[in-house]
Amino acid sequence: MIAAACLTLGMMHLLVWCRQRDAVGSLLFSISAAAVAAMAASELWIMLARTADEYGTALRWGHVSVWVMMVFMVWFVRVYLRAGRAWLAWTVCVLRTIALAVNFIVSPNINYREITGIRHIPFLGDQIAIAEGIPNPWMLVGQVSLLLMILFTADAAWTVWRRGNRGPAIRVAGSMAVFLFLGAGHSALVFWGVIQAPLTPSLFYLGTIAGMAYELSDEVLRAAKVSRDLLESERRIELASDAAGLGLWVWDFGSNLIWATPRCRAFFGFGPQEPITYPDFLARVHPDDRDTTAEAISASIHGGRYEGEYRLAQTSAEERWISATGRVECNDAGFPRRMHGVCREITDRRRSQQEAALLRREVAHVGRVSMMGQLASALAHELNQPLGAILRNAEAAELFLMEPTPDLVEIRAIVADILKDDRRAGAVIDRMRSLMKREEIESRPIDTGDLLEEVARLVRGDAMARRIKLELDVDAGVPQVVGDRVHIQQVLLNLILNGMDSINGNMDGERKVSLRAGAQGDGVVGITVKDSGQGISEEKLAGVFEPFYTTKSNGMGMGLPISRTIIEAHGGKLWAENNPEGGASFHFTLNALRSGNK
Amino acid sequence: MTPNTPTVHLVDDDVSFLTATARLIRASGFVVLTFTSAADLLAVVSIGARGCVVADLHMPHMDGLGLQEALAKSSNPLPVLFLSGQGDIPTSVRAMRGGAEDFLEKRADKVELLEAVRRCLARDVREHAKREQRETSTNLLARLTDREREVLGHVVRGQLNKQIASDLGIGERTVKLHRTAITTKLGVPSVAELTRLVDLADAFPDLTEHFP
Repeated sequence: MIAAACLTLGMMHLLVWCRQRDAVGSLLFSISAAAVAAMAASELWIMLARTADEYGTALRWGHVSVWVMMVFMVWFVRVYLRAGRAWLAWTVCVLRTIALAVNFIVSPNINYREITGIRHIPFLGDQIAIAEGIPNPWMLVGQVSLLLMILFTADAAWTVWRRGNRGPAIRVAGSMAVFLFLGAGHSALVFWGVIQAPLTPSLFYLGTIAGMAYELSDEVLRAAKVSRDLLESERRIELASDAAGLGLWVWDFGSNLIWATPRCRAFFGFGPQEPITYPDFLARVHPDDRDTTAEAISASIHGGRYEGEYRLAQTSAEERWISATGRVECNDAGFPRRMHGVCREITDRRRSQQEAALLRREVAHVGRVSMMGQLASALAHELNQPLGAILRNAEAAELFLMEPTPDLVEIRAIVADILKDDRRAGAVIDRMRSLMKREEIESRPIDTGDLLEEVARLVRGDAMARRIKLELDVDAGVPQVVGDRVHIQQVLLNLILNGMDSINGNMDGERKVSLRAGAQGDGVVGITVKDSGQGISEEKLAGVFEPFYTTKSNGMGMGLPISRTIIEAHGGKLWAENNPEGGASFHFTLNALRSGNK
Repeated sequence: MTPNTPTVHLVDDDVSFLTATARLIRASGFVVLTFTSAADLLAVVSIGARGCVVADLHMPHMDGLGLQEALAKSSNPLPVLFLSGQGDIPTSVRAMRGGAEDFLEKRADKVELLEAVRRCLARDVREHAKREQRETSTNLLARLTDREREVLGHVVRGQLNKQIASDLGIGERTVKLHRTAITTKLGVPSVAELTRLVDLADAFPDLTEHFP
């Protein structure tokens, strides 16, 4: 029965050690338990002995299991409790080893010099054998070792108690000391002939085994609790992240497998148990975004952090956008091991951004079209130049052809000029058309001087009609700028027309609008439209760029906000100041063309 | 072709239009000089240049109206004909008030354009002659003393010697002496001719005001 119990416990912990090699405590325990089981077997053998010799032999072999038990128990205390003095432990083991050696040298065994006979006494309903004989003084070696072991375990118990681990102190070391004392004591009494009883040390040593087992299973229980807590914590994280709409994922580089929460899986359309590899994930990314995403991820594997946005490969009519961030975890050697990350669907946000951009373009377009009305006359003038030239040329040719010998060289020159002017007229119309179109902002090199002159030409007529002097001042070496010609002209026109409107009422003062352009260092070109009008009152200066601010009864108030949007889209700034001599100046900056650019 | 041949001075910053218009006007039998800016024109037009100016209204730096002003102030105010790609009323009114001969659109009829050019040139002949006459007359009258001038003023007003004498507080004989001197110096015997001379010289600008 005792044997069964010990063997069961021993097997259990042997298994534990097999599964987790660093649970050495479990191994030592299982060996000790096995030893006690063997001890119990020996006791049975002793109890069933029919002759003195049998008794003696059984007792002799019994000592082997005693040795095993003692050595391994001592070792257990040292390793598991990390307590007990080393020298004591060694002394115990050495003494016991000597005892075992003596046990096999001396006959019949270490306990009896001579067994004279056996008696049978009743015990638990059976007849069992008891020896009668002369005690062997060598027994003392073994018994001293047992005493020392008791001291050793007591000392270990004290150390562990002092450490604060009261539970293990009592359960393991304490119980060990107590039961060893009882067991050794009982056996000693039997051997020295003081009492007549069967040898049942295993009964007592079972107590120590029980103590150790309890402690070890406590460990197992604790581990189970920790794993339950972990599971609970994991579940909480999943719930929280799910509630926030986040999908969690972990990509193990070694196995190339990606663990993902159900929500994360749902984003990409993976099944709940489906194994996900990195190529699987990439396949679900929109083909247009695949390369940039893969590049960004590769770059981040060594850099540490990843952040990106991409579309999912289209499964339905709608486009879906995902925003993902990740962080790389390295092992001790600095080698990347895993990437942990979070992903979220941002389709709505993207859609709003796209709508906003569309609205902005619409408004800019409307602004442009409304300005077009004001420039219709200017463009008519522009067309009249080439058309007038064509007319005069044709009339001249008519006259030449009426001569008896027409000058063909001259006539050819005339025809060439007519063609050139026709093309010029076409270009004017194209420019007008492009002002009406909804174009994206292009980035091209633009000659700053040409740009300002072209705009000046457009407004000259209007300026003259209003008796406003239009002045142009372009620095000699001003660099080219990068941007969209049509859009920048729109800004200039808006500013100039505003300036002229401001001067309108000023009948007596100076009536001048001046355009200035110059390099401002730092690869920036500054352009200013300055008027001699009424200026802008201080409190309105900031609000002048807000939508719907207008002083005109038929104004829309969108010109300046649109202009600012255009300039900012070019990477520049637009702002207004009042002039000390009166009137206002609107300044804006554009990026200069850097030499060596494509 | 001497510098004094009546020349059409064409000025426009649009080279294409300038060349085409010059061709047409030349082919119609006129002498043409072309300029791409008002400043160029002003630099070249010398005191003896004859002819007219055909100018674009919208030019950078100095526009057509500015040119008109500069010419008017100069010693050789050639008549100006304006061509414009964009005819707005206020500007055209200003141009005419400034003394332009005409104001046409650039795409105006050929006949109209050439007519206007002819008128311009004719006007220059007239005005130039008038200026010359005025100069001559003024030089003549400069020969007179102050007193003689005074007497002349009264004479052309149609006053008799007696009236002149009493107005000036001098004797009738003195008046007669002055009149002889005037006639001799100016070489002009009749009062009518004297009047005409005074008119040409515009010697007494406030003359008409005294008509009761």
